[in-house]
Amino acid sequence: MSRSGPDTARVAATPDADHVLPPAEAMLWAQDLVKTHRGAETATHAVRHVDLRVDRGEFVAIMGPSGAGKSTLLHLLGGLDRPDSGRIWLDGQRVDGLSEARWSLLRRRTVGIVFQFFNLVTNMTAADNVELPALLAGMSPRQARARREELFAELDLEDRARSTPAALSGGEQQRVALARALVNEPGLLLADEPTGNLDSRNTRDVLRLLARYHASGQTILLVTHDARVASGADRVISLFDGEIADDTALHAPADGPTTVADVLRLKG
Amino acid sequence: MRALLRWVRADLRAHRGQAALMVLVTAVIAVSLILANALLRDAANPWQRIFLQSRGAHVWIHVRSGADTAPLTRLDGVTGVAGPYSTASADLVRGAEKVSLELRAAGPQLPSVARPLVRSGRWLDPARSDGIVLESSLARAMRADVGGTVTVRARDGATRTMRVLGVADSADQGSYPDWTPGLGWVLPTALDRVEPDPAHIQQAIGLRLRDPGSADFTAQQAVTTLGSGQVTQVTTWQQVRSAMGQDNRLLGLLLGVFGLVALVAAALATAGAAGGRVLAQVRDIAMLKTVGFTPAQVVRLFLYEHTALALAGMALGAGAASLFGPLLPGALGEAMGVWQAEPARAGALAATGAGVVLSIALATALPAWRAGRIPAAPTVRADRPASGISRLARLALLLKLPPALALGSRAAFHRPLRAGLTVARLAIPIMMITVALGSWATLDGFQDHPRQLGLAASLTARPSGIDDAAARRLLTEQPAVAAAYPGAEIPALVPGETTTITLRALGTADHPYPFALAAGHLIRDEDEAVAGQGALNLMHAKVGEWVRVTAGGTPHILHIVGRDIEPDHNGEMLSVDLGALAGPGGTPKAQYYALVLRPGANPTAVRTDLLAASHGRLDVRPVANPAAQLGLVRVVVVGLVGVLTLIGLAELVTATASGLRDHVRDLGVLRAMGLTPRQVTAIIVTSTALLTTAAVLAGTGLGVLLSNRLINMEGQASGVGAGIARMPAPETLLMAGAVAVAVAACVSVVPATRATRARITAALSANRT
Ligand SMILES: Nc1ncnc2c1ncn2[C@@H]1O[C@H](COP(=O)(O)OP(=O)(O)OP(=O)(O)O)[C@@H](O)[C@H]1O
Ligand SMILES: [Mg+2]
Repeated sequence: MSRSGPDTARVAATPDADHVLPPAEAMLWAQDLVKTHRGAETATHAVRHVDLRVDRGEFVAIMGPSGAGKSTLLHLLGGLDRPDSGRIWLDGQRVDGLSEARWSLLRRRTVGIVFQFFNLVTNMTAADNVELPALLAGMSPRQARARREELFAELDLEDRARSTPAALSGGEQQRVALARALVNEPGLLLADEPTGNLDSRNTRDVLRLLARYHASGQTILLVTHDARVASGADRVISLFDGEIADDTALHAPADGPTTVADVLRLKG
Repeated sequence: MRALLRWVRADLRAHRGQAALMVLVTAVIAVSLILANALLRDAANPWQRIFLQSRGAHVWIHVRSGADTAPLTRLDGVTGVAGPYSTASADLVRGAEKVSLELRAAGPQLPSVARPLVRSGRWLDPARSDGIVLESSLARAMRADVGGTVTVRARDGATRTMRVLGVADSADQGSYPDWTPGLGWVLPTALDRVEPDPAHIQQAIGLRLRDPGSADFTAQQAVTTLGSGQVTQVTTWQQVRSAMGQDNRLLGLLLGVFGLVALVAAALATAGAAGGRVLAQVRDIAMLKTVGFTPAQVVRLFLYEHTALALAGMALGAGAASLFGPLLPGALGEAMGVWQAEPARAGALAATGAGVVLSIALATALPAWRAGRIPAAPTVRADRPASGISRLARLALLLKLPPALALGSRAAFHRPLRAGLTVARLAIPIMMITVALGSWATLDGFQDHPRQLGLAASLTARPSGIDDAAARRLLTEQPAVAAAYPGAEIPALVPGETTTITLRALGTADHPYPFALAAGHLIRDEDEAVAGQGALNLMHAKVGEWVRVTAGGTPHILHIVGRDIEPDHNGEMLSVDLGALAGPGGTPKAQYYALVLRPGANPTAVRTDLLAASHGRLDVRPVANPAAQLGLVRVVVVGLVGVLTLIGLAELVTATASGLRDHVRDLGVLRAMGLTPRQVTAIIVTSTALLTTAAVLAGTGLGVLLSNRLINMEGQASGVGAGIARMPAPETLLMAGAVAVAVAACVSVVPATRATRARITAALSANRT
């Protein structure tokens, strides 16, 4: 494990790394994340010494070739997987040492996650899938229902509430998944190739939604290897072989709210 | 909590069929447990049923003629009175047999308290003044049938022929011959004819009490009230009950084993089902965690769901058993009727319910815990390619076996842990079936080889009215009698214990009785003894130790040289040879002879011959074989094997399904490689058959061990003693195993063909993440 890159060197040089405080405007701050998948004979260095900061209201895209470690990174940030080393702050709170149960509690309110496949509990209707996290977070059934109806109206899903995931099209499933991820108004939305298996029309629908939420101040971290999808973001981070190879701002941060129009223009 | 309920509801709705099946399985197990409980209770305690149905009297008091019984009815706590009935003693003679009899005068109307329960025939009829109704155990012992005649010999020797109108059960006294005299009911006019002297007529009165526990107290009060000079006999329901108990600890023994098996079976079924569900829902569970379910909540999801199903099944089963149980035909329905009236029922039901629900919850715990451990990231990664081929497969290749076998064994064992688990799960029902077969074989042992189980003698002959030499001559002249061992039984006090054991003198030093020894050696000397397990337990003694007992006022110091198997009297028997009881007056007289018959001789025929030859001066009785009363247990064993087979099948289906889940991708690849669908099916079937064979080997082996252990353990606890367990015959085991493997192969054919028919591409993409 060679320590490479100027960023890691800087963090390692910090005298008392454990007492570093995250910048106030950072929604997500990760330092020196390392994750190695160990198989029987092989060890895959999926994430090597990654530093990452996503500010509140920011829309960041992570790109990279297959196997670059994008999903692994996202799972680390969402507490779905544990880093071998490194530190993570979420909304100002240090989270990398949390127990699995604490992470679960955190995910209910603070992190919404959308995957490429299998986003929904197969046994439950679309409505139940969305209301479940709301109930978990402590809403009353009536509140959960109201919130779900609001989201479904927004996502044009009203007539699919009673369907099971199997009866939904791919695009509909992803929209329900988005509703599910957003139902508790999380501070951070993590999306792992949410449009990966969608056709261009459905891709556009989902992106439009993301853009709309971003416009209203939602922090989004999105993994994709589709350049067109990434072009809607404020910043694009390129991951290569587990390391950040490039970090490019596409728009001045001040332009944030205007990105909706930009995306639509780009997509159009 | 709300979220949990929401998921459980959705899950139940999505798996309606499976949930219904689980409820049904639990209900069936609940019903069978309740039925078994009721049946075995009834068999172990016939008094309960008869007492309840007849509204029996708790205390019976016999008083001299002329005593005023009216004050008894006013005693505190008496809620009902039976009688007083006039009674007279007489002998019942039938052919060469003679037994003493209490004749009781009763009217044509059946009383409301202590009502005799007419089992066959009818009750007394004024039109038939020569009619008699016999208590059923007496009728059985005398082989008296309804419509036949019996001869009643009065005190003065005059005989009178009476017609048996009916046979009735009664809880007024214990069963004949444990309780003598036997009981018969006649009309008052008939009683007067048999016993014209009023001085010899007694009165019997039965008292039904509000509090059964106060029977002893009430009996004392009655004696005080009437004066002890007036009272000739007092019996309480406790005495009757213990004289009616069939002295059959073997039933309790088997109940213990089967209760255990049924519970384990219930747990197994649940564990299998829950485990399968967890496996099938890995992705959903990961999703739940992503959404914010904590591991503990995921565990609770499964626990709640399955416990709820178990509760529902339990309620259904208990309801069905209570509602429809009494309507069942035959002994089952009767036992259930009694069970319902039993005050202890609620407790038994609660215990059964708690046991079932708890064991199901426990069984769910492991799969639930595994569900809690499923990682949150929903990337169900493709199985890593098998690293090489298993040793077994290599062996198969080396032996140039056909591809199906080689690849089948690879499919079966290439993941040793998974294969081991499957084998273990299949092996458990097989093990249980082996235990059940072991119980069956043990019963067979009692029936076919009574000698090895402490039942060497099949008849006893008691001389009455002839001297010892004559009796001995009669017995030796009988060609079917291989040996006649003189015997005597007296109660013996164990120092420091309030209870007595039976001291049995049987055989002589030069002609020792062939006790079925489980340890030690036979009696060779007059101060040597062999003891049953029950006696050893009571005396806190071991084989090889010296004990001191007092029999008939004489202390005996005995060296216990062996432990024999004692199926009777709870094993509380200490056996010596006849010489040991010799007082200063020389060898004691034999009370009876234990007759060992020649192989193949029919005890019933020999008995008839002996009775005829002795003109009734030998009272010949068959020795009760506990196995004879265990027909019920056989029914339970068959039922149990059925249930276990079903569970085994369910496990098999689960195993095949999860095996297929593991291999869909491989199968696609195999087909893409050019194997025909039929070959692919053969691979799956072979793999299932191999796993089943392994399970059969493991299950049978463990089952044989366990069944020996369990039965001997129960034997020990019941006083019969270890050493009664018999192994199922090797042929039986072999056949059962072969059937299991064949069934497994057949069961796996269907999903296997279905899987192979699926499109290759579908199979190949099935595990995509
Ligand atoms: N659970 C795991 N066990 C072993 N190796 C893993 C595991 N998860 C990921 N890897 C390996 O780690 C590396 C990074 O995987 P990851 O899924 O993060 O890539 P990715 O960038 O998301 O790729 P893609 O664009 O194909 O989704 C890969 O080489 C992958 O094979
Ligand atoms: Mg990925």
